Formats: sequence, structure tokens, C-alpha cells
Amino acid sequence: MLEGEKVTKHFGGLVALSEIDFEINRGEIVGLIGPNGSGKTTLFNVISGLYKPESGQIRFEGTLINGLPPYRIAQMGIGRTFQIVRPLMDLSLIQNVAIGVMYGRDDINTLPHALERASELLRFVGLESKAYLLPGKLALEDLKRLEIARALASKPEIILLDEVFAGLNQKEIEAAIALTFHIRDRFGITVFMIEHVMKAIMETCSRIMVLHHGEKIAEGEPQAVANDPRVIQAYLGAGYVGR
Amino acid sequence: MPSWPRSSLFAGAMIVLLALAIFPWLGAPVYFVSLLFTVFMYVCLATSWNLIGGYAGYLSFGHVAFFGIGAYTTALLVKGFHLSALETILSSVPAGFVAMLVALLVGYPCLRLRGPYFAVVTLCFAFVMDLLIKNLNFLGGPEGLWLKSMDLPIQTVRAILFEAMLGVTALSIAVAYWTDRSKFGAGLRAIREDEEVAQTMAINAPKLKMQAFALSAFFPGMAGGIYAYYLTYIHTDVVFDMMISILIVLMALFGGGGTLLGPIIGAVLLTLINEGLSTFVKAELARIIYGSLFVGVIIFLPNGIMEFFRRTQGESPH
Repeated sequence: MLEGEKVTKHFGGLVALSEIDFEINRGEIVGLIGPNGSGKTTLFNVISGLYKPESGQIRFEGTLINGLPPYRIAQMGIGRTFQIVRPLMDLSLIQNVAIGVMYGRDDINTLPHALERASELLRFVGLESKAYLLPGKLALEDLKRLEIARALASKPEIILLDEVFAGLNQKEIEAAIALTFHIRDRFGITVFMIEHVMKAIMETCSRIMVLHHGEKIAEGEPQAVANDPRVIQAYLGAGYVGR
Repeated sequence: MPSWPRSSLFAGAMIVLLALAIFPWLGAPVYFVSLLFTVFMYVCLATSWNLIGGYAGYLSFGHVAFFGIGAYTTALLVKGFHLSALETILSSVPAGFVAMLVALLVGYPCLRLRGPYFAVVTLCFAFVMDLLIKNLNFLGGPEGLWLKSMDLPIQTVRAILFEAMLGVTALSIAVAYWTDRSKFGAGLRAIREDEEVAQTMAINAPKLKMQAFALSAFFPGMAGGIYAYYLTYIHTDVVFDMMISILIVLMALFGGGGTLLGPIIGAVLLTLINEGLSTFVKAELARIIYGSLFVGVIIFLPNGIMEFFRRTQGESPH
């Protein structure tokens, strides 16, 4: 449903993404991993339209989307979260989500209906008791849940999760894993996720892509990728390969 | 905001409106009619400004330009077509549309800028408009423009213009009320908080900003038209006075930007306080008191007076 062909993005002289090919099929949970600075978030920003790629093509359901403004891409059904959480600080959680509902692909345009739907979504991510608080009162785990609820509010076909597991403890990771499966199984939303927490990746993803210095160095099933010498080299250095 | 039933809210607003509407016909001294006229004008200006400045967070420091454009448009229409009394009042409507059109033209490039850049470029826009009109001879240039008053007794003319300003103000508040609880207003709030995030929430930010900016220019345009006729003489130094631009922003933020009642409270309080101080207190002292008031509000209620009510009511915005 989402495919990229030779997607390239430069920042000045730095090649952030170099001819990346990818394809996400409907109903999959696909992981995107790679060391810091390898271009993962850049790829998400290019897909969601915040950056324009220098060359290459990105298609969603067969339609070319690169170069479209971010709101158009979101309207088409690509939702996302932000790695560094970006709640709308002056608005309560339920308002954060309700605005997404009103502008989303659900045919809900009035505030009372949107608030109703928003409170359902907050219940889904486990924030219903904090619905009327401001985001400033929340801990990081809850803010990540808010990011997810807000992305779901637009009723996307595919959701790009940018490190929603980072900074969470063991118990919270378990809950987040369950949530990831719920997103796909209950809402029928395809998931493309950036993750560093290997436990989360191994348990949720059917397929993983690995970026390193803006290039795709490996792709495949989690177990195979984790044992791939190029991946180990990228993360730990050449000395660890084969140990 | 307290959530009274909609019907009683509407009834209350109607009663207030009616009471204000009969005021000039009761034979009150001109001073009070004039003062109330000024209050309405600032309520209208601050409320309109709030649409783009408060809800969307784009601080326009050039809103006086729309006021001035409205004033000159009305003056031209009245002079060019020799309008009757009723037509004179109605000519403020096209004045509003001209201001709106200018806002669309100016907004298209300017709304790409954010934060202080937008504030500065709108400030410059107002200066440029001022200079432009000063140099156009058919608009009176540096001499200003005299307008023929209606062929009616002066009290009646004042009362008619009073009603017109009240009407425009009520209309601007009605639009702000609708904005406050509509999808449109919700989108603007998201833009204010984080425009990039708003876009990823499928909000067409460029379009919404343009709409808000155009709408926020319409009412000042109309108000400018009515004001021109109230003065019967307009000059760029009066209707493009930078102090008006700054006052609009101060009033809206003093009361509370991005809230329905904030700009109304701010405009009423500041106009009355300013008037009271200049009447009862020595000029030097008046400035000091006026200034300290701002300092006080900014220190204790940085989000405006409305924050005080929100605090006492707890955090729930609904």
C-alpha cells in the first residue's frame, strides 16, 4: 500500500537518505531500525511530507505523494507520531484528539461528536481518566500514548510510529506491545515503526528494514536481520561480527 | 468558560444588545455616546484581531491598516457616488470586503512567515499603506479628506452611526462565538500550538490561516468606514495611527488571547481606564498607572485576565 522507490534526501552536502526502496503491505507491522543518525526519522518526515525528497518516488495506494503538503498526505490516510512528543500544550488531551477527529477521515465535523470519539480513543490508549488534563501534567509514557491517540484520531490507513517505546520501562513496553497489536487488529491499521527496543521489534514485527548512513543495508524477518553480519557491524563495529 | 444553556446565553446577549441600542435615543450627553462608540470600536477591533492573533497565534501588528483601508474606501464611495444617509451606512460593507481582499493579497506571502517575522512584516505593511495613501492626491494625500455629513440633525447622525458600530461589533462577536466552538476555531488552535503537527493532523493550515486573516480584516474594514463618517474628516495620521495597531494587540492579550471574552473584556477595560485616567488623574501620573497595570497583569496573569476565571473554575475547558 505504501512504497518508495530510490527515495533520496540531502541536507546540504549530507546524504540523509540514499536511494531507499521500501514497500509496506496492508496489514503488516514493519520495523525500521538503525543506529542514531541513520536516517529513520528523516524517512518518516519525507513520507509524511514534512521534508521533500530530492529524488525518487513515494506512492500510497498507487498515487504519487512526494511533493504533496503534509495535510494532504494525512488526509489520504497516513498518520504519524513524533519521536520527541509534540502535544498541543494549551489544549487538554481530549481536545488534542478531538481536533484530529474533526479534521480526519471520519465524517465527524461537530465538536460534541468529536469529543465523544476522542474519549473512545483515549480509553483505547488508556488515558480516559486524564482526558481533561493538560499535556504538561503527564509523564512521558502517557504523552506517547497521546501521540498514538492523536494519530489514530484522523483514522489513518497506515500509522508511522516513531520510537513510541523509547524511554519506557519493562512493564510499559509490554503494554505498548499489546497496544501496537491492537492498533492493527482492532482498527485494521497497518503499522510502520521506528524502534530501538529490540524486544518490541522482535515480538511485533513481521519484517524489519535496517538503515545505516542513509542506506538500506538489510531487510527481512526479525531473526534473520538480527543475525545479519552487516547489521551487527553497523551497530557494534566489525569486531563483533561472528562472535 | 461556563457552559450556560445556549438559549439563556442568547437571550442575555439580546437584552444587553437592546439596552445598548436604545442608549443614544435617551438623550444622554454626547460625551457618553461618544465614549461608548469608542468602546464598541475597540471591542470590534480586538475581537477581530483575536481570530488570527489569538486563535491562530499569528500576531498581526498591522491591523490598523485594514481599519484605515475601510475608512478610505467608504470615503471614496460616499464622495464618488453621492450616497444618501442609509447608503452611507451600507457603504461600510464593501469597505469590509476591500479590507478582506487586501488581507488575502498581503496574507498570501506574509502568512508563510511565523512568529516575530510575521509580526514585523505586518507592522511594515501598515507603515507602507500609511505612506502610500499619504502620497495619493486623489485620496487627499497629506491634507486628509473631508466628508460631507448626512443631511440630518447631528444627534440623529451620531445615533445612527452608533447603531451601525454596535451592529458591526455584535456581528464580529457572533463570528468569534461561532469560531470559538467550531471546527474552524479548533483547527486554528492547533495551528497556534504547533503548525507542523497540525498539518500531520490533516489540517489545511495555509488555507485556514488565510481564512482567519481575511475574516479578521473584514470587521476592522467596516468599523473604519463607520468611524470615517463619525469623524467626517479622515487623515492617514488618524486612521493609520500605529498606536491603534498596538492597542488592539494589547487589549486582546490583556483580556486573554484565543478566548471569546478576553478581547471584549480587554477592550472595554482599557478604553474605560484610559478615559478615566485622562479625565481624573494628572497626565504624568496617568501614564504611570496605565503602565503599571500592564506590568501587573503580565506578571500575575501572563495569559490575560481570562486566565483568572479559568483558574478559579479548574482546568476543564468544557
